[in-house]
Amino acid sequence: MKRVFVLLSVLALAVATVFALAQSGKKITVVMIPKLVGIDYFNATQKGAEEAAKELGNVTLRYVGPTEASAAKQIELIENAIQAKVDVISVAANDPKALAPALQKARDAGIKVVTWDADADSRDVFTNQATFTGIGEALIDSMVDQIGKDGPAAIITSDLTAPNQNSWIAAMKDKIAKAYPNFKIVDTKAPGEDQQKAFQAAQDLMKAYPDLKGIFALSSVAFPGAADAVKQAGKSGKVAVVGLSTPKQMAPFVKDGTVRDVVLWNPIDLGYLSIYAARAAVDGTLKEGAKIKAGRLGEYTVTKDKLSLQILLGKPFIFNKSNIDNFNF
Amino acid sequence: MSAKPTKPGFNVPWSEVVLVTGLIIAVLYMNSLSPAFLSPSNFFQITRISAEIGLIALGMTLVIITGGIDLSVGSILGLSGIVMGFLYTAGLNIWLAALIGVAAGALCGLINGQLITRAGIPPLIVTLATLAIFRGLALGISQARSFGNYPKEFLALGAGYAGPIPTQLIVFVVLVIAVGLILAQSTLGRFIYAIGNNATAARFSGVPVNRVLVLVYTLSGALAGLAGVIFTARVSSARSDAGMGNELDAITAVVLGGASIAGGSGSIVGTLLGLLLVGVVRNGLTLAFIPAEQQAIIIGLILLVAVLLNQVIRLRTGRG
Repeated sequence: MKRVFVLLSVLALAVATVFALAQSGKKITVVMIPKLVGIDYFNATQKGAEEAAKELGNVTLRYVGPTEASAAKQIELIENAIQAKVDVISVAANDPKALAPALQKARDAGIKVVTWDADADSRDVFTNQATFTGIGEALIDSMVDQIGKDGPAAIITSDLTAPNQNSWIAAMKDKIAKAYPNFKIVDTKAPGEDQQKAFQAAQDLMKAYPDLKGIFALSSVAFPGAADAVKQAGKSGKVAVVGLSTPKQMAPFVKDGTVRDVVLWNPIDLGYLSIYAARAAVDGTLKEGAKIKAGRLGEYTVTKDKLSLQILLGKPFIFNKSNIDNFNF
Repeated sequence: MSAKPTKPGFNVPWSEVVLVTGLIIAVLYMNSLSPAFLSPSNFFQITRISAEIGLIALGMTLVIITGGIDLSVGSILGLSGIVMGFLYTAGLNIWLAALIGVAAGALCGLINGQLITRAGIPPLIVTLATLAIFRGLALGISQARSFGNYPKEFLALGAGYAGPIPTQLIVFVVLVIAVGLILAQSTLGRFIYAIGNNATAARFSGVPVNRVLVLVYTLSGALAGLAGVIFTARVSSARSDAGMGNELDAITAVVLGGASIAGGSGSIVGTLLGLLLVGVVRNGLTLAFIPAEQQAIIIGLILLVAVLLNQVIRLRTGRG
């Protein structure tokens, strides 16, 4: 009995050593958990992730998520994934705090944790889709390209307290100060997350500033609202509207010429990159300053942030007439 | 297979034999789907996640036996967590805050009970309304924030273990025994069955129908409140959307367990088996990475088959 036990222990040790050695390049299972399933945006990230998994060939991808954006359901999925002894848990967190203990438990169990789209308070690496600076600069560059270096333009944000919008506005103002000092922002309206009120705000702006040449619309509802107002006022092509939203929603305005550029990131690329990040996390090649290869997207530099490591997808993606029909979200 | 007269909740009716068989089949099948399924740690994982629904299902069993329904329990779970989180964040002692959270749940249940018995509004309507009201209150109090940063001793309630046994399983087992005893052995238990069988007859035989009903709904609320506190400890943050849809999971477990939605029948053992069956199936399918939408369909089908089998059994044994 004792001999059997010793034999088994030795065997287990041998297996463990072989496993450790074979870690790099071994077949791994990645559980990828979006905020929710069944919406176009997360179908797009799934598409990119599947593409990357197929390319790598040694990644088994399990894309599972709750049917509503629930942190509790995500926790359940994470805990089950720990039981299933997967290699990587990759998650777009519905609640950064609530998910942290479960993710920490996974990491304690030797599972690598990758966050993407929405970060959590415990992870090995965050695949960041865009920085505030990146978005802010892309918005200004697009506007200047359309109406010139002097403006004038106005901003429609969501609420004055909205953290993302405020960070974008700050980044936009930095860019103006640095590159286009004569560019005038004449007004900032905050109609909340309400398309009808954003429509109204855009109408008010055009009345109050007859020489207004551009409107920045900084939420996914403000953008179509403002575009609609410009179109109905017959000012398509005279007042440029630039903002953040999803391509499917903005496609009609892009096609009729009211909107030239829709600024966002490419969710397909985001899903794609997060799988390469997962692979690198298991292989142990994720270190500060290291460069990792991500297939068709090229090479990425890993940076350190206040939690752990981060990989930035890159510059924001611009949807326009030439590509907007390729995106179904 | 003779039709024995059944003393409620005491001897094992056929529906429970069906459930145990179903459970065994489910365990064997899930084991073939995923090698990670059949392990002690996974078993305790199932009980950890099922404990909250289980607490709600205990109260729901009593409610359904009286012929009622309580749709507001998921919202009560959310509200209790928020009340506790709000008070703790405001500086109150965590255990006192937790106690008030449970009390808030009981108060919600008391309101349900009073509306049902005094105003005579059907339980379905009352609790449908309070489902919306309690959720709205939770949203209003929290202002869409979540409350976190709890002390370690409190988090142990939802994330701690005694040896391999999760803390909430111990809490749950104690309450299962308590509620099970009340239902099967006490006068109150007999009153509950009597009301479900025929409320008018019960009233004329001297059963204090209204008082029993108020008590049952209050208990249901308190158990949902406790589930809210445990949920908060498990996920370490109180959110206003917590427990959304849990009422349906609890009703599923109770009905799977052989309770008749018309009242008068049902047992804690049955509810436990129903709970375990749903827990095993969901866990197994998740371990096999079956997508959530397919899981929902499978669980719905299991519920239909179980209820149909029960129906057949009732007809053949001449019950119900």
